[in-house]
Amino acid sequence: MSLTTVNLLNNIKKLYLFKLKANIDSFSSLIGIQLLALLFSLGGVTTIGSFSSNLHIDIKYYSADLVIVFTMIWSFVTAITITTKPYRNHDFSFVTNRLTSSVANILFLFTASMLGGITAMLSGNLLKIAITLLLDEPLYLIHGGVGEIAIGAVAAILYIFGISAIGYFIGALVQVSKLFILLLPILLIGSLYFDGMLQRDPIITDFFKFFLFEASFLIFIVKALLTSVLFFLASIVILNRMEVRR
Amino acid sequence: MKVIECNNLTKTYLRKNVLNQLSFTIEENKITGLIGRNGVGKTTLLKILAGFIKETSGEVKVFSEYPFNNLNVSANLIFVDDQMSFPPALQLYELLEVAKSFYPNWDMELAKRLFDYFGFDPKHYHHRLSKGKTSTFNMIVGLAARCPLTIFDEPTTGMDAAVRKDFYRALLKDYLAFPRTMILSSHHLDEIDDLLEDVLLIKDGKKHLHLPMEELKEWAIALKGRAEIVNEWTGNREILYENLIGKDTMYTVVKNDFNETLRQKASLAGLEISSVPVSDLCVYLTSESKGGIDDVFNNR
Amino acid sequence: MNNLVIYYILHYNSNALCGKEAATILNTDGTKPIYVQIAEWIETEIMNGHFESDQKVYSQYQLAEMYTINPATAAKGLNLLVDENILYKKRGLGMFVSTNAKEMIINKRKNQTLKRLVHEIVLEANRLQMSDRELIDMIKAVQIEEGER
Repeated sequence: MSLTTVNLLNNIKKLYLFKLKANIDSFSSLIGIQLLALLFSLGGVTTIGSFSSNLHIDIKYYSADLVIVFTMIWSFVTAITITTKPYRNHDFSFVTNRLTSSVANILFLFTASMLGGITAMLSGNLLKIAITLLLDEPLYLIHGGVGEIAIGAVAAILYIFGISAIGYFIGALVQVSKLFILLLPILLIGSLYFDGMLQRDPIITDFFKFFLFEASFLIFIVKALLTSVLFFLASIVILNRMEVRR
Repeated sequence: MKVIECNNLTKTYLRKNVLNQLSFTIEENKITGLIGRNGVGKTTLLKILAGFIKETSGEVKVFSEYPFNNLNVSANLIFVDDQMSFPPALQLYELLEVAKSFYPNWDMELAKRLFDYFGFDPKHYHHRLSKGKTSTFNMIVGLAARCPLTIFDEPTTGMDAAVRKDFYRALLKDYLAFPRTMILSSHHLDEIDDLLEDVLLIKDGKKHLHLPMEELKEWAIALKGRAEIVNEWTGNREILYENLIGKDTMYTVVKNDFNETLRQKASLAGLEISSVPVSDLCVYLTSESKGGIDDVFNNR
Repeated sequence: MNNLVIYYILHYNSNALCGKEAATILNTDGTKPIYVQIAEWIETEIMNGHFESDQKVYSQYQLAEMYTINPATAAKGLNLLVDENILYKKRGLGMFVSTNAKEMIINKRKNQTLKRLVHEIVLEANRLQMSDRELIDMIKAVQIEEGER
């Protein structure tokens, strides 16, 4: 029987399509989580009350930001999940190596982030409709242009993708040793504690400031993508040495 | 062509050598039986060949390439056991479609026919199958994939006798139509011995024997008769197994270095000479004691 | 030749005890090598006239398929008959029945198989302390019985 040689990109494509089908459940959980976030959002994010002698003003601010936050958590969990043994073993029931398996995972996570980011942005509209229907009070809508929505969507996608990169990295570490399950929270809480003792801002906030306070959208894109790529690369290197189906 | 080459292959788990300086080669298009007791390192060896796990030391080559993390090896090899895992979200039929997309030689017609023959429901899920059905489904994937190297590690786990029989026949028929290198590890040696061309017997992580099945069948000989005569005849020969039946009848298995003259003399001396079933022989060869389980109860 | 005879007697005894289902096709109890059984079966096919002289016999793959055995084992059975000149090889075409295969098989079976069966009978008769007369009568009785069929 003659041997076949495999094209790397071709294999990645097949694995990617396989993962889209195999992880279909994660998309239904995305919908569930976003609906839950919308439900929470119905209560309003902030309330500003103002009283004078005979006037009582209540301003409630509604936003679908919570949906993005929930979507980020979802992408984090999804990323960790696909690094676990059963998920890695699925690939090895068919044709793969560790590199193509990881690249296909990353492509899957990117697809998931796109979907998550776009639906999260659009869920803002759903919230508007829901509030219009449910509430009797006058509504003042802030209209963003198409451009703004697009920028918002891209930013959301990048945040979600970045978080999934961190999740994937943590998942990879845990696959090396289960000790990381203990070690990572200890490191996180420990650093917060020490920063508190030294009375300075936690390092974690510096990390987030690096992205949040970026004025240029282009530089933000580069920063976010580079960080994601770094985390994914580190994960690929870690997972590339791992034994499977032991 | 050599499909598999192992040189001083060693695998250590927790400072215990599961495989210990194992060296052997397997030629193209042969069906080889991998035989050994539980925990002797058969699965470990097969998983190293499949590129799932790494050797601790030594050399291993599959299709002249290092199998670990090797995409070409992965594409030309399929490893079938009852631990094969498939995504729970996919139905059985979808799994066949996925397998088709991955394996270039995949025969969907064969897969479908076997699938129907064994009464699978296309809409069923792999993780809900019973033990025997799981093995049967995995076997279908293993056969239909038609990989140049097909590895079956305990493929018949949980299968009933009828399905096992069907499986052996399906395997042979497909092998005849599309010859390929196969490795079978099974505890049912008595059932698969006719399928095998070669036998690789592993003991203590080492190669104990590697020879054609037909030679193994004549490798040992059993002498039965009065104990003192049997003992006289076994002499300095290494005893593989002995069992005292009744008061004075001894059944002893020794290596078959008897030519016709010796054989005739032995039977004239009143000994009953017979060949040893391969499955029994392998038990004797891989056993730690000469008397088997009886040693536990004797001489207390 | 005599050595062989005794060796086979022992085999025949244990074969008789074989109660496995597969025994109807092949003895799988390990007493008689499969390839020998394959060779004997082809001999019988030739004897029954299923294969004429210079006719092609089953290939190793056909035999492997028929009996669910490894083709290498089937090849060994065929080669056994080639060694005995009952079959001959045509390169690339397969195995064919020799011109006087039937006579060779008859001779072989008379001189070997039948002889060892008789040997076995005689030995057993001796063990049972039967007289020659008794034994011969027994054989004659069976002959008559078969003749009536």
